[in-house]
Amino acid sequence: MAQSQLVQQRPKDYDHSSTTTGRSPQPTDWLVGWKPLFWGCALIMAANLFLWFWNYAFAFSAGLNSASAEFTRYYRTLFWGELIVLGVFTGIWYGWLIRTGREIAGQPCERAEEVRRIAILWSIIGATSLSIYIEASFWPNWDGAWHQTMVRDTALTPTHIPMFYFFFPLSVVLALGAYLYGRFRIPALYSRDKGFPWSFFLLITAAVLECMEVAFNEWGHSLWISEEFFAVPFHWPFVAYGWLASGMFAVWGETILRLFEIEKAEEVANTEAPFRPHAVAD
Amino acid sequence: MAAGTTTIAEAAERQRRLELKELLQKQYKWIDWKWDLVFWVTAIFVVAGAADITKQLFAGDWDFWTDWKDPQWWPVITAFATIIIPSALQYIQWAAWRFPTGATYTSVCFFLAAWIGRYFQWHVAESYPMNFVWPISTVCAAIILDWLLMQTRSFILTSLIGGPIWALLVWAFNYIPLAPFLQPAHFMNHVLTVADVQGIVYIRSQTPEYLRLIERGALRSFLGETQYVSLAFGGTVAIAGYWIGQFIGRYLAVWPIRRYLKTL
Repeated sequence: MAQSQLVQQRPKDYDHSSTTTGRSPQPTDWLVGWKPLFWGCALIMAANLFLWFWNYAFAFSAGLNSASAEFTRYYRTLFWGELIVLGVFTGIWYGWLIRTGREIAGQPCERAEEVRRIAILWSIIGATSLSIYIEASFWPNWDGAWHQTMVRDTALTPTHIPMFYFFFPLSVVLALGAYLYGRFRIPALYSRDKGFPWSFFLLITAAVLECMEVAFNEWGHSLWISEEFFAVPFHWPFVAYGWLASGMFAVWGETILRLFEIEKAEEVANTEAPFRPHAVAD
Repeated sequence: MAAGTTTIAEAAERQRRLELKELLQKQYKWIDWKWDLVFWVTAIFVVAGAADITKQLFAGDWDFWTDWKDPQWWPVITAFATIIIPSALQYIQWAAWRFPTGATYTSVCFFLAAWIGRYFQWHVAESYPMNFVWPISTVCAAIILDWLLMQTRSFILTSLIGGPIWALLVWAFNYIPLAPFLQPAHFMNHVLTVADVQGIVYIRSQTPEYLRLIERGALRSFLGETQYVSLAFGGTVAIAGYWIGQFIGRYLAVWPIRRYLKTL
């Protein structure tokens, strides 16, 4: 059964007349719908740069012996700091998403506003994509270089701490956060009554599986299966993440289809009865 | 009658082209070039990550070090590991836009990610020289794979023809930078390749002694026929890798669009 939403022809915030000389903000302007993309990616890159240069500065001087005082000062502190920062960020963001989401759930949504929300969803997905690259390529390269060069004596190595305990959980947080955003704000696609979308199921499963694989990996290494070579079979399950992350393409696909529906509804509304409320049919 | 049929067919074709042209030139209110730009740019990261992690964990060592680029395993494992994600993207881009560009797009993303990792992590952070840890490129092979799809318009033919060609071209194009490191060198009273000498001189503490020399006895013949047997087998496993990629593209990326699990 198609879901309908009562919408206004003329949104308050996004006047769209192309005949006016003064241009009002549009939902797809870089500093409107896409702003979270820039902020999200900037924050992720800032965190990555910090961890990157932290390792340049301290990996060799403090990261070789996990029993040393220097290791505790520079790396165990970093480990706990990462978890605290991530935990606080997750609590605040999810709390805000759910609280404000419940407030607006069921309220009519203008077409322009829904477009803006889809742009924001794409922004969160874009940030998730960057996080996936950092955890699946950037840090694994360093991890391979480090562990084939240094003998490990802990699961909390200088390359594991940024990769396994910051960027891996960060991708879970972002993927789940993207779903929570869509769950409350883009009901035409992700409302509860539709069920759980396969796209997000795959994306979130990918991120969660990766964290479970960390546990398996470290358990394996605790048996002193050293990294004789990087492509050892018990590393293979990590690739499932890269494959299941394809769910991201399904998110892009279903939201772009929704955009076409919104455009169609807008076109019909303009043709039939301008300046009156219209329903957007799914 | 025949002339009339032709005319009707031509008219239908003309009409179809006009409709497509109109669709291409259609002006939308909110769907603009920014969506395209955001998609193509942000997808670079997930594609690069997926391609690089697949290569690293299935064939990483054969790409990490010059001395692992041997005639026996390198052409087999690398061909298999590097075709998976290009195949997935080939399906996605063909299904969505009829763009025969997925493999090339993926290979360029993978190339950039591999160079960033190899330069900043292996070279700058760990001090391995770049001529020991340079990554391979699959871009040339990917261009041919995409061209094959464009010509055949068939994933089956692309896999059967493209898989072996992929294995051959990945080896051939990367053999050019590799060849200087396969020259013989006299080192500690042994005849080795320059790549072997690199593997011994630059310490890899976690690599046990039995893995220091990658090539084994009968194979140490400076590229004998083993090379070509490996390429033939590499072509076979590349076909399998292509269909793993097709599975990813079809069932993990496209099939889930607007499909839902049961209500929670």
